[in-house]
Amino acid sequence: MQIGLDPEQRALGKASGALAADLASGWDRGRGPSDVASAAPSDADWARIVEAGWPALRLREENGGLGAAAVDVAVLVEQLGRHSVAAPVIGTLVAAEQLQALGAPAETLEAIAAGELRVAPLLDAGLLGFAPSAEGALAWDSAGATLAYAPDGSAHALGEPLPTADVTRSVRRPGARVTDRDTALRPPAGDDRDRLHAFVLTLLVADLLGTMSAALDAAVEHATTRTQFGRPIGSFQAVQQIAAEDLVSVEATRSALYFSAWAVDALPPAEALRAARTAKAFASRSGVAVCQDAVQLFGGIGMTWESPAHVWLRRAQTDRTSFGDEHAHQAVLADLDLAPGA
Amino acid sequence: MDFSDSPDVAEFRAGLRAWLGEHLATYADGVGYDSAEGVAATHRWHRALAAAGYVTVSLDPEYGGRGLSDLYEAVVNEELAAAGAPPPPPIGHIAHAVADFASADLKARVLPGLLGCTESWCQGFSEPGAGSDLAALSTTATATDDGFVVNGQKIWTSWAMWADRCLLLCRTEPDQARHRGLSMLVVDMDTPGITRREITLANGSREFAEVFFDDVPVPAANLVGERGQGWRIAQHMLTYERGPADMGWTGRLGNVLAAAQEGVRSGRLPADDVLRRRLAAVAVDAQVLSWHVARSLVDRSSADPGSSGSIDKLLTTRVEQELYAVVGDLNGAAQVVGEQRPFNEYLWARAQSIYGGTQQIQRQIVAQRLLGLPRG
Ligand SMILES: Cc1cc2nc3c(=O)[nH]c(=O)nc-3n(C[C@H](O)[C@H](O)[C@H](O)COP(=O)(O)OP(=O)(O)OC[C@H]3O[C@@H](n4cnc5c(N)ncnc54)[C@H](O)[C@@H]3O)c2cc1C
Repeated sequence: MQIGLDPEQRALGKASGALAADLASGWDRGRGPSDVASAAPSDADWARIVEAGWPALRLREENGGLGAAAVDVAVLVEQLGRHSVAAPVIGTLVAAEQLQALGAPAETLEAIAAGELRVAPLLDAGLLGFAPSAEGALAWDSAGATLAYAPDGSAHALGEPLPTADVTRSVRRPGARVTDRDTALRPPAGDDRDRLHAFVLTLLVADLLGTMSAALDAAVEHATTRTQFGRPIGSFQAVQQIAAEDLVSVEATRSALYFSAWAVDALPPAEALRAARTAKAFASRSGVAVCQDAVQLFGGIGMTWESPAHVWLRRAQTDRTSFGDEHAHQAVLADLDLAPGA
Repeated sequence: MDFSDSPDVAEFRAGLRAWLGEHLATYADGVGYDSAEGVAATHRWHRALAAAGYVTVSLDPEYGGRGLSDLYEAVVNEELAAAGAPPPPPIGHIAHAVADFASADLKARVLPGLLGCTESWCQGFSEPGAGSDLAALSTTATATDDGFVVNGQKIWTSWAMWADRCLLLCRTEPDQARHRGLSMLVVDMDTPGITRREITLANGSREFAEVFFDDVPVPAANLVGERGQGWRIAQHMLTYERGPADMGWTGRLGNVLAAAQEGVRSGRLPADDVLRRRLAAVAVDAQVLSWHVARSLVDRSSADPGSSGSIDKLLTTRVEQELYAVVGDLNGAAQVVGEQRPFNEYLWARAQSIYGGTQQIQRQIVAQRLLGLPRG
């Protein structure tokens, strides 16, 4: 039993965090909702992302990837959330993992790993899971992506970004077919599907953890410097009690992430998926609650466009909804645990 | 990252399971705190568990432990819960305080009885005027030629009615400010001058008492650590009491949850959609709690759980109180009319946010010591 990150994983977290912070510093939230910078990274930034090996991280070596464990990918994604990185790294990782599970040819996956082919996953209109076809689907976390594949292997160009809550990531509709980019896919085995699902949910938990811990740290920092009634607001009990419960939520979410990420590669697929649903339900609830508390602890400034507080809350709400919120997963868990004869 | 049992843990677990398979039936009957027979059965159970080597396994072998990590304490708790066995004796925090601070002589004198469960102990901290504000306590131990004379009153003292010894936090240095004036004594409960009065708990349980000290002599050799060190020892002890191994609750919560789920599946507990969702939500929380406890036990680098034990206690409290609330609602009218055991268990869950430092005090510890927010 060894729970927690090993030295290499800690080093990965540190290096990814440094690059994530740097990428985030170049992104401009704008002066108002209408002039926010695009969530698509510049060519230079995308080149740095590719050089860091992020799109290739989880792909197997025979597909041009680095074959990283889910725990390693979670370590990276936590940093993306922590710095609210506006670049479709998670979307790329999710699409790559899906295509790999659907048996996409090595050359397609190699092009993704090399950052040349920029893909986004297609989700159903409720954002509950992968779309069965391009019809009515949404290309998720797709800023800067050029293609999305439906499970039948058909390639689709992507339309303009839709209005979204999240200002750091885009959702677009698949548009025209790009038949010369079609690829051969096959339906996944049940086990592969469950493991893919567990992996994707785990990444969202990681992004939620990064987002909520950034929000809490900033709120605590604010509470130590802002004074009212002649003392720091962080010395008031009502403020302390909120922040303390938030730290409980953050630490519990971290425990859930570690288990869920470990389970993706270590447990049978059905058990891994169950763990990931549990972690996603918990992180969805607690991530949004902590980001809401951060808005509260900032006071009036937390309600302004200038403040990062809404950026975290937007990102958390988007993570929460994507691939099913707590209600969606708890409903499935209730059926698993409570159906007669279960 | 690896959440699975190491070979050593797996072997330990298997050994304990085998022992339980063989001996549980002999000892588990009638264990409880609501009658003299129940208390006697409880002590028999504790002694059997201790004799088999499953009590305070994290203590050094020289004191009668097995020198294992805290993780093993959690394994004991888990396996006992899984087997439907009564809990182990709740003495880990007391044992650690004595082992880490008492003189060799005092340890040799009291640890065998504590760890062997042949003597039972209570913890005399709280007073009528000193609950959350523990450092305000006023029970005094006045130095004499050969020791101390204790005067004052303790309250909410669990198990005091039948305890052989009390770990007493008291004031020995009246001229020192609050925390600095406190010391920790081991007091034999049959010393003349001690009066105990039972206090019945809200759920009817009879494990509580108030204890009066009237010129009670305590030998100097019963001082734990140094004079004036009482606060430090108490803090050390409380981190254990709040920490995951000593709370040992998660396995038991798992049983309550599993029983509720079984009740819904079988139709014994009719559940509409709202209740099913609430049960699923608290099942999520309970699962996360058990992962969290595993992580904090393994993560714990030093012997002392530190302030992060407060996080664990806050999380446990959240889960426990919500779980009993949901179970109560599943019981519907039967919760308030009919056999009252379930209601009494629900009531007991309300104590989780009071003992060992209240919910509000735990949050204050987390805010100030872990988040670094300024004191008010
Ligand atoms: C089942 C049970 C077993 C116990 N066993 C033992 C035992 O074996 N030995 C022992 O010594 N004690 C024991 N206790 C006592 C327990 O530790 C105290 O009850 C607890 O510390 C609270 O103290 P109090 O009861 O005086 O409440 P108070 O301190 O009066 O608190 C009352 C309320 O005020 C709040 N409050 C107080 N101060 C603050 C503050 N600064 N900020 C915010 N809120 C505050 C509290 O959170 C609480 O909600 C036990 C209690 C229970 C319920």
